[in-house]
Amino acid sequence: MTKEKLKIGEISKPRFEFRTFGRDLEEAAYRMTRLSVPVPEKVWERTSEETYIVSKTNNINNTKIRDGKMDIKTFVQEVDGLEQWNPLMKGEFPISATVLREEVFPAFQVEMPPLDKEEYSLEEFLAIIKNHPELLAVTVEKERYGYMVNDTICEYGMVWINGALVETINSESTEVEDIKKTIEMLGLGGMENINYLQAIKRVTGMIDKKLVN
Amino acid sequence: MIASVIPRYEFRIFGNALSKIEEKIMALSPREKTRQMDSVYLLTPFKRRNNVKIREGIMDIKVLEQEHAGLQQWNPFLVGEFPLEADVIKTVVFPALGVESPVFEREKYTLSQFIAEVITIDPDLAVAYVWKTRHAYTVADCITEVAEIKVNGATIKTICIESEDAGKVLEAKKLLGIGSNVENVSYPLALKRIMGLTSLPESWNNIDF
Repeated sequence: MTKEKLKIGEISKPRFEFRTFGRDLEEAAYRMTRLSVPVPEKVWERTSEETYIVSKTNNINNTKIRDGKMDIKTFVQEVDGLEQWNPLMKGEFPISATVLREEVFPAFQVEMPPLDKEEYSLEEFLAIIKNHPELLAVTVEKERYGYMVNDTICEYGMVWINGALVETINSESTEVEDIKKTIEMLGLGGMENINYLQAIKRVTGMIDKKLVN
Repeated sequence: MIASVIPRYEFRIFGNALSKIEEKIMALSPREKTRQMDSVYLLTPFKRRNNVKIREGIMDIKVLEQEHAGLQQWNPFLVGEFPLEADVIKTVVFPALGVESPVFEREKYTLSQFIAEVITIDPDLAVAYVWKTRHAYTVADCITEVAEIKVNGATIKTICIESEDAGKVLEAKKLLGIGSNVENVSYPLALKRIMGLTSLPESWNNIDF
């Protein structure tokens, strides 16, 4: 079977992903810069501020809000330690109570809060999260640098989770073998695959596990 | 056990862009000492006047005695060394945390047993593992510290000025150009913000992209 050639910024089949978080990933990041082919200027450096909604019980749905838009991805499968996530829902604020009741809160896997309005602004939604004992809204600021190594889309980023800094590095592709080779090329072999949801839950103390270094 | 320590006044800030203040500290004082240490902080979402932590197997609690001119006066006392008796955990540690004490199944707890069997199963309690590299300086006769810390693996810096004499802390603040608009943030408050146990104020360590 001919493999699909990945192009940055274009829609592809669902991708597999290796991502990890730590305090010192600079050596792998350096290798990434040297092994990368030129990439479009729009992905050279990107910054964003997002809000992730996390709960102790949920490890399979990743909810983030950026620029007033909500995006939930759901875990599909793991193959050779690589994770595949698919979009579950996308919505924009103000958001209807029906969507919150039928799609958003079920994704958090927590008790449904009372929803007595027809629609909710972002501020009203965040107030519900703040008052929910099982949910946490986490501010995540990102400075990301895009690369392309071994036909996989790669990124090194600095991420501030509620103001505290961690580094992240990833490789994603529709092709599992390409990611596995990239991991070795970057010197990341043996490191744990840690997704955003896991990293945020570890830093905020919801999960008692360390990052990779 | 009560240690005979005179409570110090403290002014502390956290952030990732503190280099201007660091440069001033280094211009005023040589680096006197660097120490590395791990601490485990016990936190709750509730407002408390206690800072509960475990360092090198010893639990100590600092109590916020008073706030004066934007400074905080913390009074430390040692609780004891692990293994810690359940009775001490019940009568000293849990009241300091402001959380109802559970039923204890052991007479004594090692640190790992305490974390795994007492703390992590309590929905009102959270643990922050904090690794610190602390650099000591002296500014205006005050113990002045610049520290790189990792909170559950994420990094942030902190600068602290402390002295038994509140006036000296205010003088050091002035020398370092720290105005009255800069918020005094204690360790428990910073950790609670990072861990999402309390809301982030607008001014909290905004990243200047």
